[in-house]
Amino acid sequence: MSKRSGKLRLREGAAGYAFMSPAIVVLGCFLLLPILYAVFLSFHKVNLLGEVSYKFSGTANFERMADDTRLWIALRNTCKYALIVVPSQTLLALVLASILNMKLKFRNFFRVAYYLPTVTSSAVLVLIFMWIYNSNGLLNYLLDLVGLPTYNWLGDPNVALTGIMVMNIWSTAPLFMVIYLAALQDIPESQYEAAEIDGAGAWKKFWRITVPQLKPVTFYVVVMGIIGTFQLFDQSYIFSAGSGGPNNATLTMVLLIYQYAFKNLDMGYASALAFLLAVVIMLITVVQRLLFREEKLN
Amino acid sequence: MQKKWTGWAALMLTTAMVLSACGGSSGNNSGNASSSPSGSSSPSSSEGASASPSAPAENVELTLAGWTSSPEEQSLLQQVLDEFQAKNPTIKVKYEVIADQYMDVIKTRLIGGEAPDVFYLDAFEAPGLIEKGVLEPLDGYVSDDFDLADFETPMVEAFKGKDGKTYGFPKDTSTLALFYNKKMFADAGIANPPATWEELQAAAEKLTKKDGSKVSVYGLGQAPELARQMFMIQAFGGKLTDDQGMAAFATPEGLKGLQLVIDQHLKAKTAGQPSDVGAGWGGEMFGQQKAAMVIEGNWAIPYLQTNFKDLDFGTAEVPTVNGKKGTMAYTVGYVMNKESKKKDAAWKLISYLTGKEGMKTWTSKGFALPTRKSVAAELGYDKDPLRGALVAGGSYSTTWQAGATLPTIMNNFNNQFVAAYTGQSTLEEAMKLAQETANSEIKAGQ
Repeated sequence: MSKRSGKLRLREGAAGYAFMSPAIVVLGCFLLLPILYAVFLSFHKVNLLGEVSYKFSGTANFERMADDTRLWIALRNTCKYALIVVPSQTLLALVLASILNMKLKFRNFFRVAYYLPTVTSSAVLVLIFMWIYNSNGLLNYLLDLVGLPTYNWLGDPNVALTGIMVMNIWSTAPLFMVIYLAALQDIPESQYEAAEIDGAGAWKKFWRITVPQLKPVTFYVVVMGIIGTFQLFDQSYIFSAGSGGPNNATLTMVLLIYQYAFKNLDMGYASALAFLLAVVIMLITVVQRLLFREEKLN
Repeated sequence: MQKKWTGWAALMLTTAMVLSACGGSSGNNSGNASSSPSGSSSPSSSEGASASPSAPAENVELTLAGWTSSPEEQSLLQQVLDEFQAKNPTIKVKYEVIADQYMDVIKTRLIGGEAPDVFYLDAFEAPGLIEKGVLEPLDGYVSDDFDLADFETPMVEAFKGKDGKTYGFPKDTSTLALFYNKKMFADAGIANPPATWEELQAAAEKLTKKDGSKVSVYGLGQAPELARQMFMIQAFGGKLTDDQGMAAFATPEGLKGLQLVIDQHLKAKTAGQPSDVGAGWGGEMFGQQKAAMVIEGNWAIPYLQTNFKDLDFGTAEVPTVNGKKGTMAYTVGYVMNKESKKKDAAWKLISYLTGKEGMKTWTSKGFALPTRKSVAAELGYDKDPLRGALVAGGSYSTTWQAGATLPTIMNNFNNQFVAAYTGQSTLEEAMKLAQETANSEIKAGQ
């Protein structure tokens, strides 16, 4: 009897894996293998064009990073970008969601209107924003109307990254707004009622009930926000036509990886950089988890 | 039993999926089977053999890749290709236009073994690809009919490798010339276009129009990038690279010419870049009459004539800097993929396109200037009122090329030059930084 059931279990297990195999094969081919291959490449000097060769170079690719000034510029730009964009878009998303959660007129209209930028392709958004920032564009036109001095927004290294930041905050916040909105509707009404009976005002209710209740969602939003900002590529690529200029101002980690991989065809070093980026993102996520957990204990 | 079956079915399904997914790519190569006979390096009969019976009777399909700057130019090339196909009925040419990031696409396709048989190659990228050994040397194919001596020598030199072999033939060229707005010149009371850089600065002073504190018309439109400014480095005896291909432009001599560019923008405020007035490039800036002068190439002429019909403009040779004439020359050639399986047919195409007949049609409408002396003489561009200045520049021009390391140097130069151009750092600091960064990147990549 026991023998039979053991056989049966084995068979069931095999069937289970067989059913999962499409997913396993697809994930393995397109996720696991490329990751392993990238790790393999990062320890090699690779020449793909012409004579294909893989020369094991130990940690040379990683040592090279220390002297690469452009890498540190890219890392600094990316961190600066994340530090400004993630808090701003999270806050904006929370505020927008709270407004939409109130019983407003035309609520559905506003929901759709706010969500539109997220649905639009980022390439299109960049082009539209480049028109706005153009020397003869909308922004300068408006400034001129009020009598303020106009400016070459696209050509100045100091403001180029800020331009992308503004655009990205505006276009990603609605995505997180929807997530917040869903979470807000899960908070039981009775808690607010109880607080009202205790004499809490609107601000206190928001700060003491809404924000703590949303903590798990905030964690998710911040983590996804950071991963998204660290992977910034398309906007700065279109903005600078792939160069990361003016004066490296829009050079991000992923753009740098792209340049090394496809412009210099240095796959080994590019893989090492990608590896570094993955490590950085993982570290930040781990730190965040610790931070959020600690507060939970309190 | 049923369970077992479903398990197997799922497994089979997966296997089928994977197999069909992997099988897709191999199908593309089968089309190459109709290649030329194995003796592909026996070029004796290939040239001028358009009607010769010894040509392979099988039909061959060639792919040709390039970029295009206008629909008119694309249809002109199609016309040349149609003529070629009419003469070579067994060869069919598939013309592909790569719209953006041309070199990235070509390199990636070369790696993947999916590159076109014949493709455009800018002279400035040529040393890098030649060094990698992915191009077919063409010396063995050249016959007397091709008339190699007819080409302008520097243009052919641009496609020679360090081994002395020729890897491509120039399809066309352009130098830079000074474009000036005749009406603005007349309004400002300037009779002739400036001949020296001092005259240019003085003219720019008169031509710049201000709208309050904002400049509405710049005297000169500038392009703060290496491709346009390399001759300014050389004007006072500077060099872009040393013998080892390392960047060496941050010398006092090299900076002197570049300082003229920066000063005119920051100090005199009589020159600006296209983005200062919301234009995309110099030609647009000039066409919209936001710059009275620009230094552009032949490509700007058809652009201005079609898009700004009312514009009355002339061209002149680039004003002398430090008493010396100087300008840039750009050339693009046709090269053959070494992995091509239809090399004989590919050579026929290249020799037709860069031959006298093909080049004449291709350059007849003035989108580009010919690189063959005989074609240039026949078309008479040296006497053309607009193109004469461009042709004249050919004799003293600096070819836009400097070894395999140029793309890295260019990237760093452009990035830092903008910093100096916008006044964020001095030219000297910026150029030193650019040179150091470029050289450390070159070293690390070796």
